[in-house]
Amino acid sequence: LLNLVGTDPKIVFAFWLGVAVAVMTLLMLAVIIVMRQIVLHRERVHARALAFWKTVLAPAAGSEVAAIPPLPDRDLSGFLEAWNEVHEPLRGETTPHLARVAGEVGLEQRLYRRLTHRSFHTRLVAIIALGHVRNIESFRHVEGFIDDKNPIVSLCAARALMQIDPPRAVSKFVPQIVRRSDWSQGSIASILSEVGADNVTRELSEATLQANAEIAPRLIRFLASVNPDAAAPIIRNTLLSSADERLISTCLQVMSKREDLDCVRPLLAHPRWHVRMQAAVTLGRLGVPGDEQRLIAILSDEQWWVRYRAAQALTHLSFITREDMLRIERAQTDKYAKDIIEHVLAEQAMSAAA
Amino acid sequence: MIDLSAIVIFFQNIPWMSIILTLQWIFLAYFLAINIAYLALNYVSVFSIIGYMRDHRAEYLPKSLATYQPPVSILIPAHNEQGTIVSSVHSLLGLNYPEFEIVVVNDGSSDETLEEVVEAFGMVEFPEAYRRRIATKPVSRIFASARFPRVRLVDKENGGKADALNAGINCARYPLFCVVDADCILQQDSLARVVRPFLEDPKTVAVGGVIRVLNGCTVHNGFLEKIELPHSLLANFQLVEYLRAFLFGRLGWSPMNALLVISGAFGVFYKERIIAVGGYRSGTVGEDMDLVVRLHRSLRREQRPYRITFVPDPICWTEAPTDLKSLQNQRMRWQRGLAESLAPNFGLMFSRRGGAVGWLAFPFMVLFEFIGPVIEVLGYAAMIPLYLFDLIPLTSFLVFLFVSIGMGVLLSTNALFLEELSFHLYPRSGQQLKLFGVAILENFGYRQINSVWRFMAVVKWLFSFWAKGHWGKIARDGSWQRHADRAEDHPT
Repeated sequence: LLNLVGTDPKIVFAFWLGVAVAVMTLLMLAVIIVMRQIVLHRERVHARALAFWKTVLAPAAGSEVAAIPPLPDRDLSGFLEAWNEVHEPLRGETTPHLARVAGEVGLEQRLYRRLTHRSFHTRLVAIIALGHVRNIESFRHVEGFIDDKNPIVSLCAARALMQIDPPRAVSKFVPQIVRRSDWSQGSIASILSEVGADNVTRELSEATLQANAEIAPRLIRFLASVNPDAAAPIIRNTLLSSADERLISTCLQVMSKREDLDCVRPLLAHPRWHVRMQAAVTLGRLGVPGDEQRLIAILSDEQWWVRYRAAQALTHLSFITREDMLRIERAQTDKYAKDIIEHVLAEQAMSAAA
Repeated sequence: MIDLSAIVIFFQNIPWMSIILTLQWIFLAYFLAINIAYLALNYVSVFSIIGYMRDHRAEYLPKSLATYQPPVSILIPAHNEQGTIVSSVHSLLGLNYPEFEIVVVNDGSSDETLEEVVEAFGMVEFPEAYRRRIATKPVSRIFASARFPRVRLVDKENGGKADALNAGINCARYPLFCVVDADCILQQDSLARVVRPFLEDPKTVAVGGVIRVLNGCTVHNGFLEKIELPHSLLANFQLVEYLRAFLFGRLGWSPMNALLVISGAFGVFYKERIIAVGGYRSGTVGEDMDLVVRLHRSLRREQRPYRITFVPDPICWTEAPTDLKSLQNQRMRWQRGLAESLAPNFGLMFSRRGGAVGWLAFPFMVLFEFIGPVIEVLGYAAMIPLYLFDLIPLTSFLVFLFVSIGMGVLLSTNALFLEELSFHLYPRSGQQLKLFGVAILENFGYRQINSVWRFMAVVKWLFSFWAKGHWGKIARDGSWQRHADRAEDHPT
């Protein structure tokens, strides 16, 4: 073959390049097939262990288990998945029977070892499982992970710490909420709702008061969802004094106190349309007789969304009937105002029919 | 009178050997450059997919509260889709996502598309205060349903897919919109997966997903039930091609924020940003790529921080054409779409604020995706006269072919490797060996014929470009959704 290739260096180079490429391809195929076989074997072992330990752990969530079988190392990953799955629906409750299982199989020591494992998945599953074990001793093993650069690791660690020792964990968790813009807001809200208002209100209120305009909307939203009463004075204060339109919009979205409506009404004339829109929505939610006139006034707003939300807000007011709406529509001289009322009334009729 | 001897002497005096030698070097350099570029993309993709699988292999975190998942408007442009539209909408209604609406845009269908939707979902005309934020062909009616409050139907004059999508954007109520082709099959968690980057990074303005080949799979109630390899060889060739195109063609660009294509069959966009760039450009067959290129261009010009991301999860499935004629139409259309997206945005190439898009992805598209087929076809074509006139030895041609095919097989095998690293949808050894066989076979004829079609498309496009002085006129006959040009995307 080499004789056929000849002596031209370009051709010789190309030939050997081709040979190298062919070898690499075959090597890659071999890697794919070997990898698949390894994965298939692991998956089989894992699935068998998962199925077995689910049958042991599921009853232990509710009642005493007579005999706990030994946990061999090869079953550990299946056991941990079953362990975490059984705990998820418990949402923060501890069960002494599951704690007994953990003690008998020596779970904690095994999990500590796994915290330093090079596999990302193994480390994370161990952090989550330690959260469910809820032993105060685990706190110091997990707390370092809350500073991990990876948002999933740090959030999982935050959740585990909040499960293990909420009062101590909250002082670590809240500053991280402020600092970490890469943390998913939905996950933070989930963790906060799991631990309950009593554990987080004070820290979260303080952080909200100190936060700058960029972070404050996030914190106000969290605070209002865990404790609306604690959020109310901060919202009132913000609506009265802040110039930041994003912050005002957020406050309008989460406010729940009718006493604060006086701060909302002037915002119907705010230069930014999304503030006007949120003010209209808020009046629709909390408004009192007299507010309908304010909403009627913005039915001709230049922005579609403001008109739409104002019309919707009118229909949401308990003291405004369909006949009132038809009367308001007839009284309008502006085409856009008429159109939007017609639109909203048709929507209302549609949902009533549904 | 023509002096033939002078012509002969003229040709004899041309330094053929040095010209051929120079051309050889140019071809060699091009060949090396294109393969190095693809291998580099592949290298980036390996790291991307490992990182992605590491973070998203399992649901580590508690489920996000529903109020934190942004509502999405799903837009389905439909032209003469009476056979599929009702089942598509039914399957979309089964998506596992807290808040979404479905806006079907009937783009002047001449069949019963409108009537089918109206009847199936009990729709009635609705006096919607329609906002024409992007100019479109006139919208005649908007329908809503009491029984299916999530579904709305927009009836408009025929204006092409881009125009239909623009009308859908005008009607969309939510901050994010998702474009879905009427004949695509999704999975119940498709929307949740593709929206995730918007939750993880607020700078995200657009997200694209992987399109997979549906042929051979089993679909039940509009959702994918069982994954299998296609039966036809042609569909298998396309399957390997899709793996290559999506798993490293797109995944490689995503970490550099230089993704230039988001599938027209399935993608999610931040509505206000799309309206700000003027929506989809009508009169082009590559409206999906054109939109993404314009997004990059506009956001870079304004120096706004942004992310255009790619989600490698297999979330959208489409049927690949199984006859050569349909495939030819599709590939020529894609190549034309590529040209129509690159030409008007040429200012992005090597622009001062171009970043990785302007300095890497755009030149890559021009040099290797647009010009690539031309070089490849000319290279093959030149070999025949060169060999006949004894200007190049047969051995050189065969060795070059050996390397070229070897590289093709290696790149396809790399795609299979990425698939194995990530989702391993084809887990049986038999399936893997079959795919490897296909990865080899596709280099003997399939790849070359594809290059010829793409070459033809380039020539046709250049001809229309010079002849008419514009980007080409599209006959709006609704062919964008005929079976021949189905849903699909652009494997590159």
